[in-house]
Amino acid sequence: MTDAVTSSRPSLGGQRSPIRSVLLHGALILFSLAMLYPILWMISGSLRPQEELFGSSSLIPSSVDLGGYIRGWTGLRVSFGQFFWNSLFIAVLATIGNVVGCSLAAFAFARLRFGGRNFWFALMLGTLMLPYHVVLIPQYILFLELGWVNTSLPLIVPKYLATDAFFIFLMVQFFRGIPRELDEAAVMDGCSPFRIYWKIMLPLSLPVLATAAIFSFIWTWDDFFGPLIYLNDINTYTVQLGLRSFVDSTGSSDWTALFAMSNLSLVPVFLFFLFFQRLLIEGIATTGMKR
Amino acid sequence: MAFRSDTLVEESRAAALPRKGAMRRIFDRNIHAYVFLLPWLIGFFGLTLGPALASLYLSFTNYDLLQSPDWVGAANYVRIATADPKFAASMKVTFLYVLLSVPLKLAFALLIAMAFNRGIKGLTLYRAIFYLPSLLGSSVAIAVLWRQLFASDGLVNMALWQLFGYEGPSWISNPNYSLYTLVILSIWQFGSPMIIFLAGLRQIPADMYEAAEIDGASKQRQFFRITLPLLTPVIFFNAVIQTIEAFKAFTPAFIISEGTGGPINSTLFYTLYLYQEAFGFFRMGYASALAWVLVVIISLFTAFSFLSARYWVHYDD
Repeated sequence: MTDAVTSSRPSLGGQRSPIRSVLLHGALILFSLAMLYPILWMISGSLRPQEELFGSSSLIPSSVDLGGYIRGWTGLRVSFGQFFWNSLFIAVLATIGNVVGCSLAAFAFARLRFGGRNFWFALMLGTLMLPYHVVLIPQYILFLELGWVNTSLPLIVPKYLATDAFFIFLMVQFFRGIPRELDEAAVMDGCSPFRIYWKIMLPLSLPVLATAAIFSFIWTWDDFFGPLIYLNDINTYTVQLGLRSFVDSTGSSDWTALFAMSNLSLVPVFLFFLFFQRLLIEGIATTGMKR
Repeated sequence: MAFRSDTLVEESRAAALPRKGAMRRIFDRNIHAYVFLLPWLIGFFGLTLGPALASLYLSFTNYDLLQSPDWVGAANYVRIATADPKFAASMKVTFLYVLLSVPLKLAFALLIAMAFNRGIKGLTLYRAIFYLPSLLGSSVAIAVLWRQLFASDGLVNMALWQLFGYEGPSWISNPNYSLYTLVILSIWQFGSPMIIFLAGLRQIPADMYEAAEIDGASKQRQFFRITLPLLTPVIFFNAVIQTIEAFKAFTPAFIISEGTGGPINSTLFYTLYLYQEAFGFFRMGYASALAWVLVVIISLFTAFSFLSARYWVHYDD
């Protein structure tokens, strides 16, 4: 599944004149710059002396000033260090939950025969289409009754219950592609379904597990709506909520510090992009993920 | 020894436990499967089906979390349909957003994918650059950036002044423009549909183009007669996914308008309105009704897409 997606296709006939090729590259480079300009602007803006952000659209600051990062980090009553820790805690546990919960269900759907399988599978697919707004309010009431509001539990526990049906679907597709001979051999050796799941399916499914883990992490890290609803105490805020409070408290007065914290909030996602770009792009190309 | 592959598990059970009856074997394999399925089943009943039914019930009540729900029949729905100017405003904003952002985003994605399709040096790098905004775009940080870009003294106005001597308005605080800044933000994230288009373009057999070339078909003709028809399933897929996502957009509007949906409701996305009703005013019954209206709208849209597909989506078989 790798080469079909990432390798560039040999040019058809290859009859493109050098001039057209230069023009095409020129246009693409200009366009790339335009696309990236806002992000580069935010990076350079965070490094400038505060008064310089306005009046120059250049990307090169006259001098590098890390003041924005210092002011931003401690700009709220609770430091961004706490927000980063909260975000990391939630994202890591939610990611593990998604991989564990979804792979268990996916294994049953892909490999085991049992009464009602098609029925449950159809229901699972049905939940893919259901907008979460429909379950939002009763879920909130449930977690409120359980005393989980203002804790990270509502953002973590549902993942262990495989509520992200999309990942189940993704894994079922992958598991079905693994040759059955492998688990047949294991069954002949007296292997239980649990050992087959643990010793055969999971090790052979690392690409799909990694894809699911990376997207889970990024989506949880970026999630704003969930934390907005469940976390009201500033000590429990995630980075995204911290940023939002920072916007509300500084308004438009300290863009340098706002940009500095915005940049930091993007660092984990950017690192995933840097190191797992191939998996991300394959994930989208083969499954049609939304972003 | 040959196993029939799809009865793998139960046959092995049969071999291991020869004396137990057939019922026992079926029971055994069901138990195993349901143990695997248990977390999902708990989630399905406890966090999806149960809550969905509960919200359907709540949508016929007034409920503020403090007193128990008060049955009001269809009153919430009647009010939505007839007497709620904010609902009407949010529908207008949301539909405008969907109708503008989805086609433009897909057009961009297809255009760039076409430019890449003929094999180009540096494809991996270009593709990565164009994909990056998709990955970052829904974060609070990018919404913060957008507030600065389109502020009265932001980057866009600075550039307009330097390039054209034009003094732009504050785009985000002017109700005539604020929604368009969000549309631009959405188009900026054309990377992921672009990747899906690229994968789709690769599926088109090269010999089709070769045959067309021999027959003397122009590039334009090849595009309209080969590329576009064969790509319709991918266009359809992208359109459905992106539309559903656009209906659910929330974060950028929330950050840019500081949660108000302003100025003058011009960025009051449907989900933002729903959030305000539920968690601003604690009108949980009314918000539940709004959620179900959203489900109906998305379902109608999806059904319509699938019905229309048979007239314009090209399938091989």
